[in-house]
Amino acid sequence: MAQLGSFALLLALALSGYAFFAGGLALWRAAVPAPAGPGYDPQIDLTRRRDGGAAAAQGPDRLRETARRAGIAIWLTVTVAVIALLVAAFTNDFSVAYVAHHSNITLPAAYKFAALWSGQEGSLLFWSWLLATYGLVLRLRYKTDRRLFAYAGVILAGVQFFFQLLLVFAAPPFALIAGTPPADGNGLNPLLQYPEMVIHPPMLYLGYVGFAVPFAFALGALIMRYPGEKWIHITRRWTMVTWLFLTCGIFLGMHWAYAVLGWGGYWGWDPVENASVMPWLTGTAFLHSVMMQEKRGMLKVWNVWLIFCTFMLSIFGTTLTRGGLVSSVHAFAQSSIGDWFLGAAGWSGEPWKSVPYYVPGFLTIVFAACLYFFIRNRDHLKSENRLESLVSRESSFLFNNLLLLAACFVILWGTLFPILSEWVQGTKVTVGPPFFNRVELPIAMALLLLTAMGPLLAWRKTSVESMKRNFGLPAIAAAVTMAAMVAAGVRPWVDAGSFYALMTVGLGVLVAATVVMEFVRGGRVLAAHNGVNLAAGMLQLTRRNTRRYGGYVVHIGVALVVVGMAGLAFNQDKEQEMGYGDKLAIGRYTLVCRSYTQGQSEMVAGTTDPNYDYEAAIVDVFRNGKLVTTMYPEQRFYHSSRQPQHMVAIRSTPREDLYIIYAGQNPDTGRPIIKARVNPLVMWVWVGLLVMALGTAVALVPSVAAAKLARAAKPAPVRGRLAQQPATAATASLAAASQTGEAGD
Amino acid sequence: MTIAACALLTLAVAIYVFWLHDDGDAGEVKTRLAYLKERKDVVYENLRDLNFEYKAGKLPERDYASLRDSMEQEAAAILAEIEKLELQHQLGRA
Repeated sequence: MAQLGSFALLLALALSGYAFFAGGLALWRAAVPAPAGPGYDPQIDLTRRRDGGAAAAQGPDRLRETARRAGIAIWLTVTVAVIALLVAAFTNDFSVAYVAHHSNITLPAAYKFAALWSGQEGSLLFWSWLLATYGLVLRLRYKTDRRLFAYAGVILAGVQFFFQLLLVFAAPPFALIAGTPPADGNGLNPLLQYPEMVIHPPMLYLGYVGFAVPFAFALGALIMRYPGEKWIHITRRWTMVTWLFLTCGIFLGMHWAYAVLGWGGYWGWDPVENASVMPWLTGTAFLHSVMMQEKRGMLKVWNVWLIFCTFMLSIFGTTLTRGGLVSSVHAFAQSSIGDWFLGAAGWSGEPWKSVPYYVPGFLTIVFAACLYFFIRNRDHLKSENRLESLVSRESSFLFNNLLLLAACFVILWGTLFPILSEWVQGTKVTVGPPFFNRVELPIAMALLLLTAMGPLLAWRKTSVESMKRNFGLPAIAAAVTMAAMVAAGVRPWVDAGSFYALMTVGLGVLVAATVVMEFVRGGRVLAAHNGVNLAAGMLQLTRRNTRRYGGYVVHIGVALVVVGMAGLAFNQDKEQEMGYGDKLAIGRYTLVCRSYTQGQSEMVAGTTDPNYDYEAAIVDVFRNGKLVTTMYPEQRFYHSSRQPQHMVAIRSTPREDLYIIYAGQNPDTGRPIIKARVNPLVMWVWVGLLVMALGTAVALVPSVAAAKLARAAKPAPVRGRLAQQPATAATASLAAASQTGEAGD
Repeated sequence: MTIAACALLTLAVAIYVFWLHDDGDAGEVKTRLAYLKERKDVVYENLRDLNFEYKAGKLPERDYASLRDSMEQEAAAILAEIEKLELQHQLGRA
C-alpha cells in the first residue's frame, strides 16, 4: 500500500505540473493575438478561434482540454493516496512511519480515520485531497464559462503543484520506518482523542482550502481582464460555503478547547486560533464588499486584494500550524517546512565573502504573482461609481471592511510580535490575551454597531429623516435592555468587563431588532400584496431574496454569539480538595462529592475504550437543596502516549454552564482536587453558530426571482419592446418599473 | 501486484487525459455588450429593491425620488451604450 500511495502522489505531482504548465501555455498561446497585417479582421479571427476551424486555433484548445482533464485526474490519484494511507492505518501497518507515530492497535476506528489529519504529512495530504476535490468540481462545471474556468483551473493547478511538491519532497506520508517496524504505534495525541476532533480539522481545512477557489477566479479574471462582475456571481456560493466551513471549524475548535483543555474558556488568542480567524475576518469583509462591486461597480481593487489576502492568510494559517513559526498549544505537527511556504534567507559562503540570498517560498511567489498581474492590469479595475455620501449602505460596508481589516491586522501583529521583537530587540516578547482583548473589544463593538446600521441605510445616500424613521424602534429596544441590565445589578462604571458586557448585549439587541424590523416591514408589504398572513409574507420575502435575508439571519447568529460572549464578564470559579461528602458552593449550586472511581474500559458515562485508564469523580449537584444532576469529571491516562488528559463535565443551560474538572490528586495530601466554574450564557455562543449556519444555508438557496429568470431564459416581451425605444431616463424608469411589478409578487 | 496497480493507474490516467474526442471548445469571448447587459440587469434589480424598500416604508418620499432619479440616469446611460453598440454591430454585419 505504501508503494502504491507514494506512486499515486508522484503521478499527482506530474499531473498537477502538466495541468499548470500546459494549461498556462495553452492560455498564453490563445491570448497572443494574430499579427494584424493588411486585411486582418479581428472579428473573423475571433469567430475562427471560437469555431475551432483553424489548425492554429485548435492547438491551444486541445492542449487546454488535456490540462483540464489532467486536473480532474489529480483527484483520482490523490484519492488513491488517501485510501492507501487509511488502509495502512486500519491494518496497523506500522512499517509506515506516519501510522506508527499517529495510531496504535487499540485506537478506536473513528480516531484511526482522524489520524489522517492529525500529523503533518497526513494533514498536508488531506489539504491536497480537498484542493483536488474543489478542483474536480470546478473543472466539471467548466461549461459555465469555459475561458474563465480555464484560467481558474490553471491557477488551482499551480497551488496543487506546490502541495504535491511538499508531499513528495518535504513531508512524504508514506516514508517507511528504518529497521524493524514496532509492534504497536505511539497512538494519537490524547488532546485529539475527542469526538469533535474528528470533524473540527476537516471543517477548518475545507475553509482554508476553499478560499483557493475564489482566489483562483479573482486572479484569473484579473489576468484575462474579464469584463464585468460575473466571476463574483460564479464564486459567490463557493465563497459562502467556504466561509461557512471556516466558521464551523473555528467554533468546533472553540468548543473542543472549552471541553478538553479544561481552563474554562473557549478562546485564548493562541497563534493557531488567530491563524484561523484572520482569513475568516478578511473573508467576511470580502463577502460584504463584493456586494458593492456587484451592485455599484465599486471597490474592485479592494475586492481582488481582499480575496488575495484571504487566500494568503489561509496559507499562512497552514504555515503557522505546520511550520513551527511560533509556539502554540495547537501546533501538533511542527517542522521546518515553513521555509517552503515563506522562503529561506541566509548568507552563502564564508563570513568574509558571504552573499545574502533569498529563495522565495510559496507565499512569496503567490504575492509576487498577484502584485505583477495587479500592476499590469490595474486599469481594468477602475471603479464605475464613486461614494456619494458618508451615510449610505456603501460607506457602512466600507467602514465594516476597515474595521474587519483593523481587527485582522491587530491579530497578525500580536501573533507575529514574538518573531518581530526577536528580530528587532533580540529577545522574544509574547503578546497575551490582555493585549488582544483591549484592542479587539472596541473594534468588535464598532462592528456590531455597523452590523445593526448597515441594513437600514439606503444605497447611495441616507437622509436624517430616513435614519430617524428606521432607527427609532431598534434604539429604544437596545436602550430598554441596557436599562434592565443596570436595574438587574450590572454596574458598567465599576469595571471594564461589566461595561463591555452591557454594551455587547445592548448592541446585540440592536442588531436583532433591526433584522426583525427588516423582516416585518418587508413581510407586511408582501402579505398585503398577496393576501397572506405576516409569517407567510416573511417566508415569501426570504425566498424572494435568500441572499439578503439569509445574511440577516447570519447577523442574528452573530448577535447571539456576542451575547453569549458577554457572559465572560460574570464567570465564577472555585477550586477545592474534596473528600467523600465534602461540599463546594459556587453560584446557585452546591456540589457534593459522592464518590471516586477508576478503571479501564467500563466507564461511568457508559463508553468503553481500552485505549486508556481513567479516574473519575462522582459529583452530585444541588440547587436550592434539590438534586439537579450528577456529573462525572474524569482524568484519563493514555497507554500508548503515556499522557494524561482531562475530560471536563459540563451541564449546559440557556442561563449558564456548570463546568467541573477533576484535576487529579494533591501529591502532598493525596486528596482529589475539584475545580468548578459557572460560565453564564455560554450556550448562546453555540446556538449563535447554528443560527449563522442556518442563515448561510438560506443564503445558498437560489432566490425565487433568480430561479424564475433562469427558467424564463429569454427577456420578457415588455422588456424587449422597451429595449427598442430610445435610451432615456424615462425608458429606464419604465423598464425598471415593469420589473418592479414582476418582482413585487 | 503493486506494480500492476501502478501501471493500471498510469494507463487509465493517460488515456483519460490524452484521448480527446473533440477539439475542446474555447467558449465565447465575453464582449463589452454582454457586460453591459449584465450591468443593466443589476441596475434594474437595484431599482426594484429601491421600490420595494419605499413600499416597505424605509424611505421618505424625497429620498426615494432622488435615489430613483439617480438610478434611472445610470440605467439610461447603460441602455444608450447598449443601443450604440448594437447599432454598430448591425452596421458591421451589413
